[in-house]
Parts: sequence; C-alpha cells; structure tokens
Amino acid sequence: MTMKSVPEKENEDLRELFRHHIESFDHMVSEGLETMLLRVKPVKVYDSSTGKTLNISLENPEVHQPLKESRVGDLLLPFECRQAKISYSGKFTADVCFQYDKGAVIREKISLGSLPIMLKSKFCNLRGASPQKLVFYREESSEMGGYFILNGLERVVRLVIAPKRNYPMSLVRGTYLNLREGYTDKAVSIRCVREDQSSVTVRLYYLNNGSARLGFWIKGREYLLPVGIVLKALIDTTDREIYASLTCCYSDKYEKGKGAVGTQLVGERAQIILDEARYLSLFTQRQCLEHIGEHFQSIMDGLENESYSSVADAVFKDYIFVHLDNNYDKFNLLIFMVQKLFSLIDQTSVPDNPDSLQNQEVLLPGHLITIYLKEKVEDWLNKFKSLIQDQINDKSKNFDLCSLADVKKVMDKNPARNIGLAVENMLKTGRIVTRSGLDLQQRAGFTVQAERLNYLRFLSHFRAVHRGASAAALRTTSVRKLLPESWGFLCPVHTPDGDPCGLLNHMTCTCRITSYLDSQGNTKDFFDIRKSILSVLIEVGMSPSLPKLVHAGLPEMLSVLLDGRVVGYLSSSEIEKVVAHLRRLKVSSAPGIPDDLEVGYVPLSMGGAYPGLYLSTSPARLVRPVRNISIPSMDGQDIELIGPFEQVFMEIRCPDGGDGGRRQSFPATHEEIHPTGMLSVVANLTPWSDHNQSPRNMYQCQMAKQTMAFSSQAIHFRADQKLYHLQTPQSPIVRTSAYTKYNIDEYPTGTNAIVAVLAYTGYDMEDAMILNKSSVDRGMFHGQIYQTETIDLSDGSKRSDRSEGMFRRSTLDKSVHSSIDSDGLPYVGQMIKPDEPYCSIYNKVTSKIRTVTRKGSEPGIVDYVAVDVKNKTDIQKVNIRFRQPRNPVIGDKFSSRHGQKGVCSQLWPDIDMPFSGATGMRPDLIINPHAFPSRMTIAMLLESIAAKGGSLHGKYVDATPFASSAKKANGETVPEPSSVDKANGETESNPNSLVDELGKMLRQKGFNYHGVEVLYSGVYGTELKCEIFMGPVYYQRLRHMVSDKFQVRSTGTVDQVTRQPIKGRKRGGGVRFGEMERDSMLAHGAAYLLHDRLHTCSDRHIADVCTLCGNILTTSLVRPQKPRDVGGLPPRGSKKVTCHFCQSSKGMETVAMPYVFRYLAAELAAMNIKMTLKVSNGAGA
Amino acid sequence: MEGKSYQRFPKVKIREMKDDYLKFELRETDASMANALRRVMIAEVPTIAIDLVEIEVNSSVLNDEFIAHRLGLVPLTSERAMSMRFSRDCDACDGDGQCEFCSVEFHLRAKCHSDQTLDVTSKDLYSSDHTVVPVDFSDSAGYDSSENRGIIIVKLRRGQELRLRAIARKGIGKDHAKWSPAATVTFMYEPDIRINEELMDTLTFEEKRNWVDSSPTKVFDIDPNTHQVVVVDPEAYTYDEEVIKKADAMGKHGLVDITAKEDSFIFTVESTGAIKASQLLLNAIEVLKQKLDAVRLSDDTVEADDQFGELGAHMRGG
Repeated sequence: MTMKSVPEKENEDLRELFRHHIESFDHMVSEGLETMLLRVKPVKVYDSSTGKTLNISLENPEVHQPLKESRVGDLLLPFECRQAKISYSGKFTADVCFQYDKGAVIREKISLGSLPIMLKSKFCNLRGASPQKLVFYREESSEMGGYFILNGLERVVRLVIAPKRNYPMSLVRGTYLNLREGYTDKAVSIRCVREDQSSVTVRLYYLNNGSARLGFWIKGREYLLPVGIVLKALIDTTDREIYASLTCCYSDKYEKGKGAVGTQLVGERAQIILDEARYLSLFTQRQCLEHIGEHFQSIMDGLENESYSSVADAVFKDYIFVHLDNNYDKFNLLIFMVQKLFSLIDQTSVPDNPDSLQNQEVLLPGHLITIYLKEKVEDWLNKFKSLIQDQINDKSKNFDLCSLADVKKVMDKNPARNIGLAVENMLKTGRIVTRSGLDLQQRAGFTVQAERLNYLRFLSHFRAVHRGASAAALRTTSVRKLLPESWGFLCPVHTPDGDPCGLLNHMTCTCRITSYLDSQGNTKDFFDIRKSILSVLIEVGMSPSLPKLVHAGLPEMLSVLLDGRVVGYLSSSEIEKVVAHLRRLKVSSAPGIPDDLEVGYVPLSMGGAYPGLYLSTSPARLVRPVRNISIPSMDGQDIELIGPFEQVFMEIRCPDGGDGGRRQSFPATHEEIHPTGMLSVVANLTPWSDHNQSPRNMYQCQMAKQTMAFSSQAIHFRADQKLYHLQTPQSPIVRTSAYTKYNIDEYPTGTNAIVAVLAYTGYDMEDAMILNKSSVDRGMFHGQIYQTETIDLSDGSKRSDRSEGMFRRSTLDKSVHSSIDSDGLPYVGQMIKPDEPYCSIYNKVTSKIRTVTRKGSEPGIVDYVAVDVKNKTDIQKVNIRFRQPRNPVIGDKFSSRHGQKGVCSQLWPDIDMPFSGATGMRPDLIINPHAFPSRMTIAMLLESIAAKGGSLHGKYVDATPFASSAKKANGETVPEPSSVDKANGETESNPNSLVDELGKMLRQKGFNYHGVEVLYSGVYGTELKCEIFMGPVYYQRLRHMVSDKFQVRSTGTVDQVTRQPIKGRKRGGGVRFGEMERDSMLAHGAAYLLHDRLHTCSDRHIADVCTLCGNILTTSLVRPQKPRDVGGLPPRGSKKVTCHFCQSSKGMETVAMPYVFRYLAAELAAMNIKMTLKVSNGAGA
Repeated sequence: MEGKSYQRFPKVKIREMKDDYLKFELRETDASMANALRRVMIAEVPTIAIDLVEIEVNSSVLNDEFIAHRLGLVPLTSERAMSMRFSRDCDACDGDGQCEFCSVEFHLRAKCHSDQTLDVTSKDLYSSDHTVVPVDFSDSAGYDSSENRGIIIVKLRRGQELRLRAIARKGIGKDHAKWSPAATVTFMYEPDIRINEELMDTLTFEEKRNWVDSSPTKVFDIDPNTHQVVVVDPEAYTYDEEVIKKADAMGKHGLVDITAKEDSFIFTVESTGAIKASQLLLNAIEVLKQKLDAVRLSDDTVEADDQFGELGAHMRGG
C-alpha cells in the first residue's frame, strides 16, 4: 500500500460526507445555544410578603475546548479519551441573571457541567489540523470527526426523518376518526419550528359537519379549538373578511377547471365556521381571546395572575404557528390551511404522503442537542423557582428573596451541572428523558455507536438516515417503500434487508444537508435572506399579503409561502417565469439569495397536489446538485442545489443524451450531473453495478460493511473492544471513480484473488469455495482480531477515594510468573491461553491476590499494555490489548464485491489445483459455476475479465457504473443508435461495448477473448474437457469466522432444574435438537438415535417407582443403620429404597425416565395433582 | 501378457537453461509421469526456510507473527537441503531442530537512528552457515546492485528496533508454501498441427489473414512470398481451439487438424532462487525415485503383489 500522505485538499470530497454533522454542531455552539437561551422564558418568583418579584434567566452560554483536569491548559486529545475510556467534553458555562422587579440585572457565571464536543467541530482540539498534525495527535491522517467520544466509545447521532418544517401537509389517517365524535380522518398538519429548533405540531381537523378544529399539544394533551374562534381571536377582523378570505378560492368561472380547488361547498363551510363562534356568542376579538384565555389559564404555567387575553396571547405565541411572530401571518396561514383542508375534502387535491421524502427533512445532531438542552434549562429554572418558592412559603426558615446570597444558596441545591450531564447521558444512551416528548416521534435510538469494523461501515453511520423507531413498529410496509420522490437523495441500493429494510436508508454520495452556514462557512442571516427574497418576489409582480386586501384565489392566483409564512400571491400566468427567475438568481449566487433555496413550485393540476409556491430557506433539508441547463453554462456556474420537494415538479433529464420519454411537451430544464449520483458511497464502490441484478448490489452494500478490512491506520493508539484487521490488503484492480474520490485505498477491504469458475472436487458446491492452501500459506486473507480488556480498579470502590487494589504479582506463587511480570501485568508479546491468568491484582486491605484470566476458547497474544498514570502512586487503570491471529480456516466466509458470498470448504493443496498450461498459474480460489445463472451477477464476470486485462497491461481498470450512458453526454456527436442497430444486439453493432474493450485487452496479450483458459487437472495432468473462466476478482473476507461460531459438546453443564443440557455457546451448551429434527428422525425411523439424543444424552434419570401406589415422589433412600467400615471399601449390598406412602419397600422398581418427568410430577404435586405410574414389564404389556 | 514390459525410457532435452529458469522437453513418457514430476517439483523438493523465530525486540509497526511470516517466505539458498535432515528425524538433536545437521541459525538486528525510514531487508539477516543465505537477486536480474537491497521485511522509523533470532529448517512445499522451490512449473502437450493445404488454398489472402489473426497467440503466419499459411510456433498454441472455431465459422471444416502428442511434453520451470532450476529438476527426479523406492520396498507392496500378481511385479521393476 502506498503510504503517501493525502493532502488536505484531496480529502475535500470525503469531508463533504461528514459535513452536516459538524456544521450543525458548530452552529449550535457558536450561536444556536445563545438563541435558545434567549427563547427560554425567564421564571418569575413572587414573594407575596414583600411584594418583590425576582426574574431568573440564563444567558451568554460558553463552551470551551476539552482540557485535561490535571494540569491547567493541557489539551485533552480524543485518542486519550478513547484509551482512558472517558468522555471528550469541554466546560460549559452560562450567566445566570437575577433581576428584582425592574431593577438592574445581576449576572453570575455558573457551570452547566461539561458538554460533549463533537470531533473536528469548532471547539475540538483537532479542528483545522493538517494530516501530519493529526498523525501527531495519534489520529487517522484523514480523520473527519462528526462523532462524540463518550466513556471511550465513539457515538454518532443518527439522522432521523422528521416531517418537513413549516409546510402544511394534508393527511388522511384513520386514527383521527377516534379522536372525538364527529371527526373525519382528514386533517392538515404543520410542524412549526422556531428559530431555536424546538417545534410544535399543529393540526387542523375536519369535522363531519363541515367545520374544522385546530389541535395542538400542551404537556402531552391535545387541545382542540374551533377554527372560527382562533381566526377571530388572532386579529381584529370581521366575519365578512373571514368569509371572503376563505371563499376566495372558489369562483363559478373556473369550476372543474385546471387548478380549481374550491367548490361551492366552501362558502357553506365558511358559514358554519363563523356560526360556531357566534353560537358561543363570541363576536369580537376580545371576546374570543378571553374565551380562549379562560380555558387555558389553568394549563399554562406562570400565568396564574395574568388576564385572560394575555393568557390567550401566550397560547398563540407558544403553541400556535410558533414559527411566526406576527398574528397577521398566523391568520393568513390558518386561512391557507383551511382552504387546503377543504380542497382535500372536496378531492380537488390529493393528500400529501407523509412517508415520502418530499414532505420530510432530517433531525441533525446540533438541533437535537439544542432542543434537549432547552428543555433541561427550562426544567432547571422551574425547579429553581419551586425551590425558592418552598423557601418563601416555609416561614420557619429565614429566607429573604431580596438577599442574593440566600437565593444562591438555594441555587446550590439545584446543581446546574446536571444540564451538561443530561446531554452526555442522552448521547451515551441515545435516549431522551423528557416530559413533553420534544415533538419527536421517538424517545430512544437517537445515537448509535460508530463501529470501526471497517471504514465503509464507519462512514455509513454518518450517511445513514433512519425513518424513526415509530415506523419500525408499524405492521404496514408502506413506510419502507422505495418512493420515486427519494430519487437522488436516498440510495435505492444501500439499505439492509430484513428488519430495518427501507427504514434505514443512506444518503446518496451527492446528497447534502442544508445548514446555518453558507458555502463560505459564514452563518446565514435568515432575516436578511427572507427580506431579499421578498423584495425579489415583489419586484417580479407578487402582490404582498400584508396590506390585507381581498384577492383572487386559485387558480388565478397562487399563494406564495416563504418558510411557512404566506407572503403574497402570484398570478398563475406569471409564476413559471418567476420560478425560472428565482432559479437563475439561485444559481448565479445573487446577494441575499442562498444557493440552497428551495423553490417548491406546485403547478396547477386537475386534482393533484395542492398548488402554490413554497419557498424554503431552512436548515436540515436534503439537497443535491443538478445541472441547470436552461441557464447558459458558464463553467460550473450552472450547478443548482435542489430539494426533494421541488424535484418532484421539475424536469430533470439523465445525461445519456436521451429525452427520457418526455418529448417536446415538457422540455427538460435540468440535467443530472452523473448517474452515479443516485448511489451512496458504498454502493458506488461496486464495480459495474449497472450490470448486476439489483438485489446483489444490495447484498454487496451490506457485506462491504461487514468485511474484515483495514479498519484504522492508528490501530496502535486505539482501545476498541474488538477490532478486525486484514494483514495484507490490496487495492482493487477494477475500481470505480469513487475509490479515488474518497481515498478508499487508505482503507482497502480485500485482496485480488485469482478466481477460477469450475466445479472441481465437489467441495465448491452450494456456495462453498476452495482456497489454495499455498496462497493462504503465503499470506492471502491473513488477519487478526484485536481485543482490548480494560481493568479499572477504582471502578467498583467508589466509596473511598483511595482504592484498595493495585497491580502486583504474588511473590509466593511462582506459577503465574511465566505470564505475569513483576508489575502484575502481562509481558508484551506473550501468548495467553484460555483460562490462563494475565494480570494480578493485590488487595491492600485484605492482602489477597486475585488474578484475571483470559476468557473465550482461543489464545491471544498480548499486543499492547497501556497504563493510566493519572494516579501518581499506584496504577489504577490499564488497557491490555490482545491480538488473535485469524488466518483463514475451513468455515470462514468470503465474498466478492457482487453479493456472492461463500464459505471456505477446503484449503486445497496447490499441486492438486488445476493449472494453466500456458502460464502455469493455479487459482487462489475456486467457485462453482452454479453461482451465476440464477444470480445474474454479470459484473463479477466483467470484473474478472477486466482485472485480468488490467493486470496484464499493468493498469487499473475503471468500472464506474453507467459510464457508457454518461459518455454519450460528453461527446454528443456520437449518433443515436438507430432502432435497427439495437435489434441486432448491442455487442454486435456497438464497437464501444464494454466486453469488446475488455476482450481486446486480453487478446493483445495472447489470452482468450472471453477470459477462459485451458486448464490441466492438477491431479492427473490431463487437459480439462472444458475451458475454464479464470481471472482476478477482488475478494473480501467477512468478519463471520468459525472460530467465533463453532459450538460442540459431548457432556457438560446441565440446567439446574431440568438436568437437560444448557444452551449458549459461551457457556459450553449444546445445540438444540428441536421438534423439526425430531420429526425427521421419526420419519427416518431412526428410533435408537432419537432415543439417544433426547434421552440418553439429555436428562436420563433412573427413578425409583413404587409399584404399589405408583408414586415416584414418595420413594426415599434408606441408609443402612450402621455403616460398617470394612477396610475402606464402600458398604456392600444394594441400597434400600422405601416408599413413604406405603411404608414398605416391597414394590420398588427402578425405571429410566427423563428427569423433567420427575420435575413435572413434583410441579403437579405442588398443585395437588397426584401422578401415578403403572409399571409393567415391557414384554407383558 | 507374459513378458510384456511397460517400461519406457523417457528422454529429456533441455532447451533453455538459466539459474532460475528452465525449459525442457520430456518425451516418450505419459501424462502421469510428467504430472508427477511437476507435482514433486512444486511440493516435494526440499528447501530451507526460516521456521522458528524468536523475537527479542520488536517495536516496529508490524506484529511479531507478521514479521515471522515474512521471514519464512524469504527464499534461502538451499543447495544443502537434499543432504540435510528433517528436524523431525534428526538423531543428533532429538528433533528439536537446533543442530548443524538440520538447522541454520539467523540473526537480525536493526534499529533506526536517523529520521529517514530504515528498510530492514533480507540482507540484514546474518546466517550462521555461509551456504544458507537469503537469495541474492541483484546480479541475475540485471538491476543496479547498489539500489537493490534484497527483500524488504519491515520498515523502521526513528527509534524503532527489531532484534530476533531465527532458525531455518529443511522442509517441503507440501507442508508450507514457503518451502516450495518452484515459482511456476508447468507443462504442455506438444501440439501436432496439420494444415489441410488443399483446403487452405481455397482461401483468399484476406481470409487467410483473418484466420491467422483469429488465434490470440502467434501460431500461424503467412509467408510474405508464397502467401502460404505456415506454422511459425506450434508451441504457442494453447489448445484454445480458436482457429478451429474460426475455420468452422468460415465454413471450412477441417482446415486445420491439431492434436496433442500424448507422449511429449514441454516443461517450463521457474525457480524461486532457492535452488537452481536445473538442480530443481534433478532433485525432483531424485525425490521421485526415492518415493518409488519407498513404494517398492514397503510391506504393503509385497502384500499387494500377491493380490495383483503381474502388476506387482511390474512395480518392483519387472
């Protein structure tokens, strides 16, 4: 492997894959926390005796880089955290502000504990380090960060799908029917997200009577308000205005026309909505507000003494459309939602699919931590408040609210460091502890361990997008479906099969996630952005929503929503131009228009999606680059970032030169950059995946992630519990462009093995494969497993500061001296066999010596011993790393890159392998030809030919999928193959076909065009009848190895109760001989064998049965009265057994039976059921 | 049947001989004999290779087993191997493999003191026996000898050290590939190519050219003067039957007839350098002889004699 260091620039593509994690965290620590604290409502403590009020709030959060505890200013490095099993976190402080009445604010800096720092984020010590520096810091030279280190484990926040923010989505759900009497299954739902990322979902339900209810959640309960009251309470308006706004979407002129959403029923419904308010005799805004305030006062905290209308204002501010500050905006949005709801009811528009990526975004690590912190801060403030209140109420205590010292004393009882601890625990366990649920769909599974089994698996953790734990529980498969909306954003190939199929997706390699940072790395000013977008829109003829005028509705005018705010209306004749204009501004990076602006234009249709122009600038959206071909190309200036929402309504053609079947009516405005952009990074590594049957590519994506490969370059400085390592990896000869792009050669995953496809010896049947023993002798697929045992003596004894234990070996017991050195630790390089001691601990109090023995069934070699020198006197913590050689043995699993896995069935002698007469080559590996016809992995055959040609010519072969279609786009002069040519078959007519290119390479070097060779039997030396397909194929060694799996036992431990063999490989248990196995034995008539398995080898038991009463439980052994000791011999004569029931030993017989039968009898006896046995001679029965 | 002898007298004709390369013809024998020779050359001619490594210091980036494995694969000059004893049946040292009859000791001491990476190569192995040393490729391959420093075992950076003692023993390739003296041994049946000149004459020049080019290897050519197809190199033929298929495709069935001569073989032997290729062949014949002797002299054979009568006598050299 080449050891040349990779320049920083070259890793740019790789960095891009991790960027969303780091950017979201960066924004959180730099600005997100501050805005979050500003949004937290200060708590008010009121002392009725003095009449003073104390306002408490938190401000000015500060996060510091991780430092060592011991010495001041010493940087704490991630590798130290991994080895010492501690968390990589920095100090987290904030100012707590006390304000009496309206007096001056008194600030005091307090510690909020420590905040885990994401690697390579703003406060990480590795930030900006060059590859050389990273190596100096004992990291990978291409360390990308994006994860946390907690207790030495690397954990990454999983991206979870969330409903698209600030977009009213029409839904049909059966559960709404059961909400209350009169509800239908239809609703419009909007997930409103504040600037601090906390969100509140509001739903507008449709009622059978034509009215609607606005539902929102407060503290785990849903409250439903009649929409008429909310409309009236929001702004000072008249019934007429409301009626006009609601019905503007209907006009006789356009009935049943294109894009008409309203029907004449709209007017009637508007009537009902207004009537509802009138029946409650709520006429004015004030009355409505008071009505709402009255009902919510008891629910809202801290507003007990406020007026009803201010309570209602608070409800609107905190729970209804929280992304908008202005009640006018809220009113407009509610009108829009009501119209959308009515059109859903009238079936003039279809419901939105909540499972489609179109209506989704993702939850980013920074956002998750921010909203979790927000709740923890609120909890802390509330607890603080109630503690002070308790003190005030407790008259016996001399508490003075005006004395800051007293207040601070109370604050000490409520340690703020728990806030940081809560975040750390959340990241450690992935569970959120919350009352409100944070408007999230799940409570657990937010973080996962970033396993470094190999680099591809590690990388995939950062690209994975999970649908959410709630979807996993669903019985329906609709959420798992691959929908066309996710084209280009989620990889169709890279999803596991089995349980999480379709729920755990991976982003394509080109997919990015929008963040608060723009391409220059500066924080976006959303206020400015929205302002400039607005001015652009007004410039192009949008009539703004705010001076409130009655305006025409659909299909004449389309609503324009900017981040969930109805900003105006555009005429349907103008809108296409406006959209094109916006896209042009987007691409030309006009000031104020972000390049990732989503221009979600839903055109007018006949009962399609609800039309409108939905602009979105928010973070956490998926975006991907496509080429905008409607704009004259100015070298690279035509790349536009598009989102899944807008993509659905765009015309994007594939760069194969064809029209994609759209003809002239819908000319393409955009073009894909390269077809490989629809695949994830891992899927992109499969050579010529376009020639494989698609499930095979899925299998390969899974298997690539369980390959025993070159997992880490800094393996010497890591203390992972288990690390797989391939000794001599190679770079594949046949490679896709992704290998170079992402520097995969830094972490190769396999070996180029010479593979012959033939049925030889029969040991290659059923996906078995024969390895050449000599090849294995020479080091092919050799590997190791590194296992680290951490022994922490201070762990168990937390009560005292000084631990009782220390590492020391016994001076008396010389037997351990061979494996344990004088310091109580093993010798490096020493082989430790199973159950051998490798470490000796001396207890200072009891003066006893305890040894730690090696578990498992395999010997390990001590690779490395690391000691923690924090404790100056005695070493308290050590890491001992073992190395287990894992060279290939029969039963180990291997796979090519095409989902063709197989198990090694023989290590076949080299001389018995078939050999080529021309070159004398023997294959490294033999697989059976039956592996191909049903699986159709043509790319594997191509790979073999290509690698053969490549190795003969001494060069790598590019196997990027879809290269042929992309080629056509580049050289557009290539004429379209006429239909006649196509009929002749591609290989014949098209001289540029892949196989021809590869075949030519072989031909030039005197090999057969099709990659076959004449082989001679290694055993007889005669020519094999058939020419054999042979060539190098990149093979991966999978981590599933027999040494970890084999299970065998003759006799061993048995279950206490049943006396049957226990289960479990670790405990030396047996393999279950179950019902199916029993059935097959019976079917074969193998009664003796069956008896042997189920009885003799299991829980055979000789019981004494009393034939008089038929009991087996009443018998007991009677010891002879005087045990005569005759010269040390055991007492002669048979044992005497009597029956307690019959008081005699006359009818005693011994019967062989399963022990569980006796147990059954005992259990039945406990239930007062007597079991009697009728014993008879088998012959007489 | 009585008196019929199966004995044949194979002939060997050496065509090309270099230190590590040998090409020869083997005639008047059959495939079993040729294959036996091949198999013995690969797997049963003894060589010497490092088998036991005792590591004193290893602070390199490679682990102990890895280095031991790499050392094992270094070819050692093994002219002595035939006369050495296998350590398992060495009387002098009770089979512990540490005496002059069955083992050779090596030492390796390397430490990097400079900032430049130090390559530890096979040249750093010091042998206790000057006849058993790592194979030197520098002169034979024609490389610049100053640059060629042998086979790299490990690279050391500043401060890293490798110190070990290794014992090389005699062994055969059957036990472990490191003892195999042959890089490649292959043989092919000598082809017998007969062109049907009559049919060939019916072809145009263009067709002839196409037909000649259909073979990936250069077996046939067209005489520039006579425009006749001639066999230039029959041994380049790999039995791929491309030309026959081509002829059939052209509708000229039987244009050429190629058969393998069942009793003549062309061997190609490449040695790892442990033994000279020529010596490898001689040793292989020696080993083969010993094996046949072992068969002939074993008690089982005498028993089998009675069972198989005639055949048994033949095996005893009758």
